[in-house]
Amino acid sequence: MADHADLPETVTLTIDGQQVTVPKGTSILHAAEQAGTQVPHYCYHAGLSAPAMCRLCLVEVEKAPKLLPSCVTQVAEGQVVHTQSDKSLTMRRGVLEFYLHNHPLDCPICDQSGECKLQDYAHEEGRPHGRVREPKRVFGRDDFGGDVLFYGDRCVMCTRCVRFMNEVEQDPRLAVVERGDRSIIDTFFDEGLEGTNFHGNVVDICPVGALLSKDFLFKQRAWDLSHTDSVCPNCSQGCNIELHTRDNLVQRLRPRPNLDVNGHWMCDEGRLDYEWINRGGRLEVPLVRDGKEFHATDWKEALVGLVRELGAGPVRALVSPRLSNEDLGAARALVDQLGGGDLVYRSRRAPEELVLKGFPKLARRRDLAPNVNGADLLGMSRVGDNDGTGGLEGLASHDGIVLVVGDDLEDQPPTFGKEAALYVFLGTHSSEAASHAHFTLPLTTFAEQEGTFTNHENRVQRFWSGLPAPGAARPAWLILWALLAEHTGQTQPTRPEEAFVTVSEFGDVTYETLGKQGVIVTPPTRQEPAGAIGD
Amino acid sequence: MSVTVKVMNRPEAGRTSYLRAALKGMGLTFKHLVNPEKVTLQYPEEQPDLSPRWRGTHRMEVHADGRPKCVACGLCPTVCPANCIRLVGGEDDQGNRYPVVYEIDEFRCIFCGMCQEVCPVEAIHVGVHFENGEYDRSRFVYDLDRLMEQDHPTTLLWDPSDPKSE
Repeated sequence: MADHADLPETVTLTIDGQQVTVPKGTSILHAAEQAGTQVPHYCYHAGLSAPAMCRLCLVEVEKAPKLLPSCVTQVAEGQVVHTQSDKSLTMRRGVLEFYLHNHPLDCPICDQSGECKLQDYAHEEGRPHGRVREPKRVFGRDDFGGDVLFYGDRCVMCTRCVRFMNEVEQDPRLAVVERGDRSIIDTFFDEGLEGTNFHGNVVDICPVGALLSKDFLFKQRAWDLSHTDSVCPNCSQGCNIELHTRDNLVQRLRPRPNLDVNGHWMCDEGRLDYEWINRGGRLEVPLVRDGKEFHATDWKEALVGLVRELGAGPVRALVSPRLSNEDLGAARALVDQLGGGDLVYRSRRAPEELVLKGFPKLARRRDLAPNVNGADLLGMSRVGDNDGTGGLEGLASHDGIVLVVGDDLEDQPPTFGKEAALYVFLGTHSSEAASHAHFTLPLTTFAEQEGTFTNHENRVQRFWSGLPAPGAARPAWLILWALLAEHTGQTQPTRPEEAFVTVSEFGDVTYETLGKQGVIVTPPTRQEPAGAIGD
Repeated sequence: MSVTVKVMNRPEAGRTSYLRAALKGMGLTFKHLVNPEKVTLQYPEEQPDLSPRWRGTHRMEVHADGRPKCVACGLCPTVCPANCIRLVGGEDDQGNRYPVVYEIDEFRCIFCGMCQEVCPVEAIHVGVHFENGEYDRSRFVYDLDRLMEQDHPTTLLWDPSDPKSE
């Protein structure tokens, strides 16, 4: 058997009376997952090495002299495993009792409460009451620097955080100091986690409330948050994330495992940059300019009025790399319909990439917008500086049709578009430079619509809507396709998947084939975007 | 099956007197006038005896130094079936979790007492109290200061001698 190493050999074993067949070399813990049994564990994490030191995943294996740690024990042919036998359960109850020996049981004030593994396991399998009479040892709270706070009393010494910093971030800044029941996670002297770029992940992987995010501290309870699958909008890496929302606000971002893109991780810059999604003062109704005054109107009146004004003519359009592929596709279709013209975008660019050493696929990319590659793929060209400003001299004084979709024009003067025969501004927020717009139409952000982004390797990934759109705001593709349909009389797509398949660059890829992992459509033709970028 | 109807003949008008019935009724009235067993409570001079398990408007317990006992754990807004508690947690100057905003809409409250039952630090209580009159509806959203000012006795949610109400 051993000399067919390149063939996927399988092993059949019995777990809790159920036969499962798994590839050779799988751990019992993973095999049990396939059999539908979750074995409790702390120290094991799919993205880290397994030291088998928490002793919680010990399971009974027939003919083995004692219980075996399921996270490192590989399956063997004909093995019979019992995860729920008396022996296993008694052992886990005992281990959990030791974990609770020094645990402060301060769940009411602990942020992890509701998503805490110690809480879950103790509730499912632990003893109903503790028997310890001795006083608990007290460490108190420590500031680890960066976004991380450490509550030593709650720690279960799984060392996931230490291994993350050693193996994945490869910047060993955390260590276990002291021994026995005095052992504790600590930083080296005053050098904390400050200055590392991925330390926010230690908060995610901490199974208990020992490592907490300062940003999220005491902000919301875990059980109150709604989770929506999404894609990080802060750079072109396209990390798979979850939006955690409550009260119509994004409360925090958390990574979602996708081994092809971000593994289990995300960078701190992306994680903490979410307040812009919650920015108030949104455009909520279509505004039509009447002389110098804007008046609010409904979509029907705005679109009918706009179609009447839309003549064929030289079009210049500014789009944003924060828009979805559907939005960009609709913008291009509209411009083509009106006789063609320039489609440009502006994007902020960081001076360098921040690579996660232990998982080099993941980096904070230079382009600080999620869909720069989508815009490139659709033939749009980049203008402006590395800070996402300038480059609009021709557009600002264009005398034909000026279409601005998604760019907030914050650096532009109030005279922007003064000469334009027709100036249409689609945005989430009004801006001074939109004061000459004939039509100002409210857009949703990525968090309020469904769609896809194309990341730095041209992987198209779906995101879902986690927040309600404010007022009458609509996704750009819906507005632009309604205009196009009104203008040409063709039927308009009403769902994002219908808008997606109208973009020819994506070939026969559909939302169904994209799934949650995403699909690489065409390898990027150039790594560095064209245009006069001074770097 | 036929319905049996009993026909009652009313006495003809002018042929009967209600005097006897009137005197009988007056007799009952005068009997109660002299009856020592009074039912009416002379409120507000006399106050009713409320049950120790009476559930009235809320009260927040305070520490000796004047801070509320609440740690903003979020269990009462979670358990509240009427959704009448608004809580925003925060960090105080000593790094402790505390309620930045704690409001109870007493109009929405159904006085089930589950907030008191769920509270892990015995901070929020329903009170043995019923005089809540106000001149303005907005005064019925009790904020944290108001809840801490309340000094009426708090409820025993169950009778300690008969905890299961048997």
